[in-house]
Amino acid sequence: MKKIFIIAAISLLAQGISAQTIDRSQKPKPGPAPVITIGDPVIYKLANGITVLVVENHKLPKVSASYSIDAGPITEGAKAGVVSLMGSMLNEGTTTKTKAQFDEAVDQLGADVNAGAYGGTASALTRYFEPAFMLMAESIRQPAFPAASFEKIKSQTITGLKSNEKSAKAISGRVVNALVYGKNHPNGEFQTETSINGITLDDVKSAYKKYVTPSRGYLTFVGDIKPEAAKALAEKAFGDWKGAALTLPVLAKVSNPTKTEVDVVNVSNAVQSEITVTNLLDLPLSSPDYFAVLLANQILGGGSESRLFMNLREKHGFTYGAYASTGSGRFQSKFSATAAVRNEKVDSAVVEFLKEINTIRTVKVSAEELQNAKNLYNGSFALGLENPARTAGFASSILINNLPKDFYRTYLQKLNAVTIDDVLRVAKKYFNYDNTRVIVVGKTEAFVPGLTKAGFTVNTFDSYASPIKK
Amino acid sequence: MKKRILFALAISGLCLSASAQKVQFTEFDLDNGLHVILHQDKTAPVVAVSVMYHVGSKDEDTTRTGFAHFFEHLLFEGSKNIKRGEFMKLVSSNGGQNNANTSQDRTFYYEVFPSNQLELGLWLESERMLQPVINEVGVKTQNEVVKEEKRLRIDNSPYGKFTEKIFAHLFDGHPYRWQPIGSMAHLDAAKLDEFIAFNKKYYVPNNAVLTIAGDLDIEKTKGLVKQYFAEVPKGAPVVRKEYKLPEIKKEIIDTAYDANIQIPAIFAAYRVPGMKSRESKVLGMISSILSGGGSSRLSTKMVDEKKTALQVAAFNYSLEDYGAYITLALPNKNTPLNDLLKDIDEEVLRLQTDLISESDYKKLQNQFENSYVSANSRMLGVAENLANGYTFHNKDTDDINKELSIIQSITREEIRAVAKQYLNKNQRVVLYYLPKK
Repeated sequence: MKKIFIIAAISLLAQGISAQTIDRSQKPKPGPAPVITIGDPVIYKLANGITVLVVENHKLPKVSASYSIDAGPITEGAKAGVVSLMGSMLNEGTTTKTKAQFDEAVDQLGADVNAGAYGGTASALTRYFEPAFMLMAESIRQPAFPAASFEKIKSQTITGLKSNEKSAKAISGRVVNALVYGKNHPNGEFQTETSINGITLDDVKSAYKKYVTPSRGYLTFVGDIKPEAAKALAEKAFGDWKGAALTLPVLAKVSNPTKTEVDVVNVSNAVQSEITVTNLLDLPLSSPDYFAVLLANQILGGGSESRLFMNLREKHGFTYGAYASTGSGRFQSKFSATAAVRNEKVDSAVVEFLKEINTIRTVKVSAEELQNAKNLYNGSFALGLENPARTAGFASSILINNLPKDFYRTYLQKLNAVTIDDVLRVAKKYFNYDNTRVIVVGKTEAFVPGLTKAGFTVNTFDSYASPIKK
Repeated sequence: MKKRILFALAISGLCLSASAQKVQFTEFDLDNGLHVILHQDKTAPVVAVSVMYHVGSKDEDTTRTGFAHFFEHLLFEGSKNIKRGEFMKLVSSNGGQNNANTSQDRTFYYEVFPSNQLELGLWLESERMLQPVINEVGVKTQNEVVKEEKRLRIDNSPYGKFTEKIFAHLFDGHPYRWQPIGSMAHLDAAKLDEFIAFNKKYYVPNNAVLTIAGDLDIEKTKGLVKQYFAEVPKGAPVVRKEYKLPEIKKEIIDTAYDANIQIPAIFAAYRVPGMKSRESKVLGMISSILSGGGSSRLSTKMVDEKKTALQVAAFNYSLEDYGAYITLALPNKNTPLNDLLKDIDEEVLRLQTDLISESDYKKLQNQFENSYVSANSRMLGVAENLANGYTFHNKDTDDINKELSIIQSITREEIRAVAKQYLNKNQRVVLYYLPKK
């Protein structure tokens, strides 16, 4: 039933065994590479379309389940926030239990049960798993949508928005996406007090009908459970569920600026400013560039040994940490390089960010850097196996991204085949330099003069990403 | 290292450790006093190598606060055989992950590697213990980094100053009154030989526990540990000062202002016995009754029914010498802070007056068993929990296996008695935490 595939060992790390006496001046040689095994989850399909994945692991007397709906990015428009309100409302009681009764039932089991707009999770000791799982299903399938709860959630949401009004980090999160994707894009739109106030309970109910459904649903079980038992539970909880059919949205492509721009937002109380250098890219997991981009990003800013960290923190002490991340997947995503930098050093930090991005685009990385980045990925692949849910993640990623069946079994093989030239090519292709955005959210009076002096044209925005005329 | 945690936020109140199955381990001492704990688990090809030094901000001089946390940074600067800036690179370029964190009581360094790199982990940690390089360049760089960390985690962080404010009152007369991040002025004033002296005093094998957990061979690992660590010289015995604080007899009220927030908050904090005590575990259970889960008393009453609070919490910030039992609430809409405090106080009074129901007691036991089972799912967690047992529970590494049975032995009457003894208004600090205009 459960096939185990043995894949290439971490060959790069494999060498001889340790000697008797130690020579401290040399780093010890690794032992024989451990064999990495990836078990295949058992997969079933329910008649209503739900895909069921089961990873058996009896190490602890515990089972976790998650239901996940692959709806893709949802555009909310003037009702921004409706999907999140709807998700919260799924935890406010069901047609047979008030919220208080429902919470009491969950806590009595000592379990964790949650539901949201994109699905739900349940985890419990093995002996309490079935009732916990049924409660999760109940909250997903039979929400009560009480009006009093709706007012509560709305007012909490608005209070929550207010609580973040002065946070440079929160403002940066909102403004970066709004500027990069545009405010009409599902990734760029954001909730405001006005949009939340405009949402009615009927809006929430219709969002529920549209998006919470067995269509494009993945139900995953991990832990101390037999596949047959999991399948029976899945049938019992979700077998007769019907709902709207989902199709993945098709989104218009968004362009990057034609010339590098600097956009700033003033947060006068900030002691650190949030810097983001960012551009959009298209990188499906099936792209031949995928593994080279992972490595290029790692070398530039993947961790505390990467160039951005070594430069901005260890060399200059501008920041506590500087990192880069590159998105991937079926939709456009972002490359971004980020750091929270003390206000006075923002202009110098921006120069260093751009310098590092330009360098990785134009100068070949060293063989050692590339090997180190590969070793890191080989290692984290092994370390990831400590989490039994990883296998289920691989399987659903293959289904969702339409990848070849052996994508993760040959993952390291493909990663280890990346060359120095590949890294240079993809850095140039995916990390923008002349046509990127530098977004700084912080105390502008401390750094705008410096940026202007350094030759940048600076555009000013308010904390909701609307331009401010000078 | 990437995201070093300044203090261990024991905010859940459920910082339990151990799985339902007994956690097996082997332990021994080297001649230099280093205590070694080994745990074998071959489920995944992973090994965690960790060293817990029994030094934290409470061991600092009153005019040199922030030293322990500063050392957390400094001891990444390199050693006689590891060049400056190479430490982290050696970890990542060999497929590992590492980090460190500092609390008031201890500093914890670790690497997690694919299991064939065990020896590399031992080399790194033994170099750090045997011959770290502590020089002006490293001190200067890390001084800037620590200042950025303070800006990030405290100065620029909403509600980032509540522990500082509360602890100053609650632990007046004890080093817990300052935070592990310490004073930037103290760090600026410190001379290189003071750093070197601090290192000699505390970062010695007889003040450390080496814990290795994962896919390893016990006998082979014992031999390797000796090869790498036996030559580290023993330090002078570490003598810890004992503090006995006078009881707080009158409610202390203070106000903090924070430019990073819009929504105020109210805190009430009580000084309670330290983590070794049985009371500390009882207080963990009290946290669960008050704010653990949707059906907990404060959440039900204030968030769901009255809708006066955006958030409520009760947790035991448990430390070695004492703990701080903290309750807090953030208002929904514009509910006055005193109304929130009154509601919290009513629930505390109820705990002091009535026994919790049999059904609530059963719920509590199930919740604790669930978190107990989850606490040791990763090798790094196992390593840290084993080291905690030895460091903080009278050298009883097996504490990891006893926690659940202690919880099960705590009665409803005991819960009421502990609430009655420690959670009284005249014993506490009330902090009004307000937006700075």
